[in-house]
Amino acid sequence: MIDFIWLIMLPIVMGVPVIFIKFNIAKKIIAVFQGLMVFASILNFVHIKKNGELLQNIAGWPDYIAITLRADLLAAAMVMLATVIFMALILFSMKKKFADSMFLFLFIALEGLIIGIFLANDLFSLFVLIEVATVIISILIMYKKDTSSIYDGTLYLLINVVAMSFFLFGTGMIYKTTGVLDLYGIKEVLGKMTEPDSVMLPYAFIVTAISLKAALMPLFSWLPKAHGTPSAPSVISAVLSGLYVKNGIYLFVRVQDAFSGLIDTSSIFVYMGLLTAIIGFLLAVVQDDIKLILAYSTVSQIGLIMMALNLGDERAFWGGLYHIFNHAVFKTTLFLAAGVITDHYKTRDAGRIRGVYKNMPIISTAAIFAILGIIGAPFFNGSISKYLISFGLTEFIGEIGILIVNLGTVTIFVRFSEIFFGESNLKKPKTDGYTLSVITFLGILCFIGGIFGQSIISFLFNEYFEVNIESYIQKAASFLITLALGYGLYYGFIKKVNIARFLQKHELSFNGVCTAITIFFIFILSYVRITH
Amino acid sequence: MMDYINGETVSIVLFFTGVYGLIARRNIVKSIISLGILQVAIILYFISANFEEGAVPPIGDVSSSAIVADPLPQALMITDIVIGMGVTAASLTMFIHMYHRYGSTNWLKVKRKRMK
Repeated sequence: MIDFIWLIMLPIVMGVPVIFIKFNIAKKIIAVFQGLMVFASILNFVHIKKNGELLQNIAGWPDYIAITLRADLLAAAMVMLATVIFMALILFSMKKKFADSMFLFLFIALEGLIIGIFLANDLFSLFVLIEVATVIISILIMYKKDTSSIYDGTLYLLINVVAMSFFLFGTGMIYKTTGVLDLYGIKEVLGKMTEPDSVMLPYAFIVTAISLKAALMPLFSWLPKAHGTPSAPSVISAVLSGLYVKNGIYLFVRVQDAFSGLIDTSSIFVYMGLLTAIIGFLLAVVQDDIKLILAYSTVSQIGLIMMALNLGDERAFWGGLYHIFNHAVFKTTLFLAAGVITDHYKTRDAGRIRGVYKNMPIISTAAIFAILGIIGAPFFNGSISKYLISFGLTEFIGEIGILIVNLGTVTIFVRFSEIFFGESNLKKPKTDGYTLSVITFLGILCFIGGIFGQSIISFLFNEYFEVNIESYIQKAASFLITLALGYGLYYGFIKKVNIARFLQKHELSFNGVCTAITIFFIFILSYVRITH
Repeated sequence: MMDYINGETVSIVLFFTGVYGLIARRNIVKSIISLGILQVAIILYFISANFEEGAVPPIGDVSSSAIVADPLPQALMITDIVIGMGVTAASLTMFIHMYHRYGSTNWLKVKRKRMK
């Protein structure tokens, strides 16, 4: 059994001496260390699976005084996901030029913070962890110090600090009304209250901040800049899109659960998720930059996950959570593959990159596996989670919603996969073994997640869902129809009509984002006030 | 009337003053100052939220008094002051870098240059 505090502290503690030793030795040490982290997180997961939820006080302080860390099955599974993804990314960057000791330190410290956010139990430690992670990420975004990434990094930092101010103000109000800070304590106290009036304001504050973290509808404009900034190393984009944004969704689940006794806003978040998915798709399909296509497709997938989590159906909920894992795997694969491709072609313009399959057959195969996963092709991991999500969609809005979202995803990746075909006059690149094996491993993981989807879900969440062969085949048929439609939509409409081009230039300035945050806050507050 | 002028209401007004600054001011330095105002408002709120008349600070011998102030918000706010300082320092450093690259303190001008 491992103390949770070490899962958080060890990466940070390990990172410090690494700054002072030679980089060639340092990266080997970190790779071995990361292997141990994966092992520790798996042990931790198995322990919690056997013994149930676990609560630990930091540094042996007595109850009610100590800061506590709590891990239930979901948190432990998320920690496992985080360590596995970081393992892949560290191996990936073994032979890359951008990495140096300082980078390694920041990167590995970020791992500790992400794990901390999954395990933290009270609102204030969440605030501290997120704030520190924000600073580290903005430094990582601008690591190459070129002009555009400095803007992106600064914007990322300031927007997230504004959001976390909202979070902390909400925390203060919650502390005043309930007298506790930890999420389960809040749930308990709120369960005894009958009037929701006094917690509406704090709820609106906290949910606004978390919706920004999870990049919901009007609040996502920082995401493509941060995840798709041209010069940031692809491992950073991968960790942001694959893992860090999941922190926001995870917190959303936790906070909704804590407030569930008094305030239930799930129905509005279904629509928000749908809107996020649609707008993400519209913006993704008009981009030229392949990293931006991937970043906006993250927005759209988050919309889908949000919908699934708020539908109120158990199968859809677990399907949504499984989709978080799947999305982490295939988006990491895609970002890493995109990084290798752009390094070789020296351009990020999807219109000019051609013939990737001929040049890099292995990487392309893995990327195509990931694409099949994200569009929900049969036998790949996305199909299982989307199959489960579609069960919750009994209402009209859901049926239409998932069709539109699927169609959108298919269209995005019809556009994206254009880069694999055609001819290119560039030479075949030399790709090092680490890169190849990491991308191949992740690509195969997409396939395994589909074939053994049922057993993986029951392993991760202790929930068992029957996948009915007949309806699965039915879904496969509807997938083929969606694929054909997506093809038609892209080649017949979007590629010919330039009407969507103006969307490409859509971007909010800092003031615009702050206005969006305030509007979102007022909207949530008035929604809660009207419906409760 | 004077009852309404307490720490809580003042901090809420301050908070939204800061939010106004973030929305309406295009100067990057003023945005960072507005963030400072948000932080001050939060600190004031935490410290004064559960204030009781005549409470003594929770330091030293507190057995003589009936009411002792809640130590938790104060402990949290010391942490927050430190974090706030770090974040402000980081954002000012980034601002200086940005100013060297873009030659402007205006969000819109900087954004226009970035989009090119």
